[in-house]
Amino acid sequence: MTEKLTLTGTRPVSPAPRPPRGAALRRGLKALRVFMRSQPLGAAALLLICFFVLVALLAPWISPFDPLEQFRRDILEPPSGTYPFGTDDLGRDVLSRTIHGARTSLIVGVTTTGVSLVLGTMIGVTSGYFGRGLDLVVQRVMDAVQAVPGIVLLLFIAVVLGPSVRNTIIALTVVITPSFNRIARAETLRVRQEPYVEAARATGARAPRILALHVLPNMLASVLTLGSLIFAGVIIAESALSFLGIGAPPPTPSWGLMLSEGVRYVERAPWLIIVPSVALSIAVFSFNLLGDALRDHLDPRLHRSATDRVTGLWWGRRMLSRLAPSLVRATEQNVSTGGAAGGAPRPSEPPR
Amino acid sequence: MIGYTLRRLGYGVVVMCLVTVFVFVIMRLVPGDAVSLQLQDTGVSKEAADALRGEFGLDDPVWVQLGEWLAGAVQGDLGTSFYNKEPVIDLFLARVPVTVQLGLLAMLVGTALGLTVGIIAAVTRGSVTDSALRVFAVAFLSVPNFVIALLLLTAFALWFAWSPPLVYAQPTEDFTSWAQQMAIPVFALGTGGMAAVARLTRSSMLESLGSDYIRTVRAKGVRERTVVLKHSLRNSTIAVLTLLGLELATVLGGTVIIERMFGLPGTGQLIYQAVLDRDYPVVVACTIFYAALFVITIILIDLLYALVDPRIRTGKALS
Repeated sequence: MTEKLTLTGTRPVSPAPRPPRGAALRRGLKALRVFMRSQPLGAAALLLICFFVLVALLAPWISPFDPLEQFRRDILEPPSGTYPFGTDDLGRDVLSRTIHGARTSLIVGVTTTGVSLVLGTMIGVTSGYFGRGLDLVVQRVMDAVQAVPGIVLLLFIAVVLGPSVRNTIIALTVVITPSFNRIARAETLRVRQEPYVEAARATGARAPRILALHVLPNMLASVLTLGSLIFAGVIIAESALSFLGIGAPPPTPSWGLMLSEGVRYVERAPWLIIVPSVALSIAVFSFNLLGDALRDHLDPRLHRSATDRVTGLWWGRRMLSRLAPSLVRATEQNVSTGGAAGGAPRPSEPPR
Repeated sequence: MIGYTLRRLGYGVVVMCLVTVFVFVIMRLVPGDAVSLQLQDTGVSKEAADALRGEFGLDDPVWVQLGEWLAGAVQGDLGTSFYNKEPVIDLFLARVPVTVQLGLLAMLVGTALGLTVGIIAAVTRGSVTDSALRVFAVAFLSVPNFVIALLLLTAFALWFAWSPPLVYAQPTEDFTSWAQQMAIPVFALGTGGMAAVARLTRSSMLESLGSDYIRTVRAKGVRERTVVLKHSLRNSTIAVLTLLGLELATVLGGTVIIERMFGLPGTGQLIYQAVLDRDYPVVVACTIFYAALFVITIILIDLLYALVDPRIRTGKALS
């Protein structure tokens, strides 16, 4: 008996078999394949997004002209062989500006969504996992940020910091971070009660390990889904700010800015409005579509779109549910039974 | 029911306090104030600028300013604009009607169109019409409202050589001019709501059309039109009502950009200009107005819900 104990005690613990190299990549590719097969609309959205990203990355090589170069002799030229989408009031090529505009949108979208995703998730997870006083203080601050109408906060920060792409990113990050905090915190509270977290804690795992190995991977789906929808919102917000003249400063090729510069020439040069509008709409549409498909794919039971999309930039969900609990519940129920992206109505949940 | 109402109102007050304090604090904490902005190029001495700050009360600590503002607000005095020295309440009341007209009309148009599209899609479920209407709805959900407005402007200018008048006219004075100017903004703001309402109407009607009581109604031999419009639709309206309350937020946010585009003198314009001028009293008042409008709508709809569904007000059953 004692011999046995010492034996097991002294036996070198064999390390867990290391996964072969590239296993994670293969697993990721497989998940992607499954997603694309089960969500054809999502696959289409993904293709559109790939196209958008490629255009943005390759902008300097694929655009026919420099987006800032002014061909003074070709002002407000209609679409032609030389200028496929015409030229603007300064003789700049609209196609090149639109292609480079994708770049601006992508930079703002990726940075804002990325930073607020990481920041919001970190805040939400920490706040939710440790709870108590920290949670109370942090969540009140987040509530306060979300309680101010998004557009006002955005206007205010953008004006105070001055118009530039960097400041647009800062303003949007401040407005959006609480949304990620909200979902990360809710997910943490859910995961924290799961038996496997309890088991991990019982084996003596410390908080950072539990958070990294158990909590974070289990909330990734919800966070990424929200990320896709937020990305669409960020693209709109960036162009809206630029349109108002407090986003990207004038020579920058940005879709919103192109629209505001084109308004004056609506009758003479409609292509100045139509081209950036279509580009903007397609980009937003594909991210919205991807978000819808992701949500359907990752968690068919979770359909919060109506409440979340509308209140996302405005109000803390917790605050809303306190103000008007029946409202939140009703929207959720109604949306969850219908299937947001379409398809047959799902069987309604049994009454709880 | 009374207890329920009081609780909702209590939360509403708490939220409004939070908004007030937060808006107030960030307004004052950021660098650059109205005085330095106004006197930027005038070469006025530092003493004069400080005197002006004293006049506006900008040299007091934030909490003193907040206290004074609250004391005034309770008596209906929202302060004086730093910019043109007019009482904020007057500036504000002059502009509220335009935004209210715009918002209400937009929501009305959006709901009417959305309900129609949603009903047609639900009734013709699975057909080409249904798919077309659904794609149409998702597309409208993705096009930002100011882009819709721009595209409409372009289309009218190109095909009909028509553009809306640039100067706002009161509907009581010059109705045609008013209608011409409001048409595009109302439609542009309404489309987002339309798409959302259409989707929700479709899904909740499909749900109710498949339920037992509809089968019973049909078995009774009631005409299909009555089944759809009376029994099924009525059951779906409450869901749509919910969405409308939330949609108000989007519409109000949209008014800032749309009002600026079309030169409508509403609160959206006021808030935009006030932010540019760092006109704190106006910004604070407008923000609180927007937030209050939203909170009040939400509470009203919630109470309506409780009135309709006794399970909610007793707080049992659904939880």
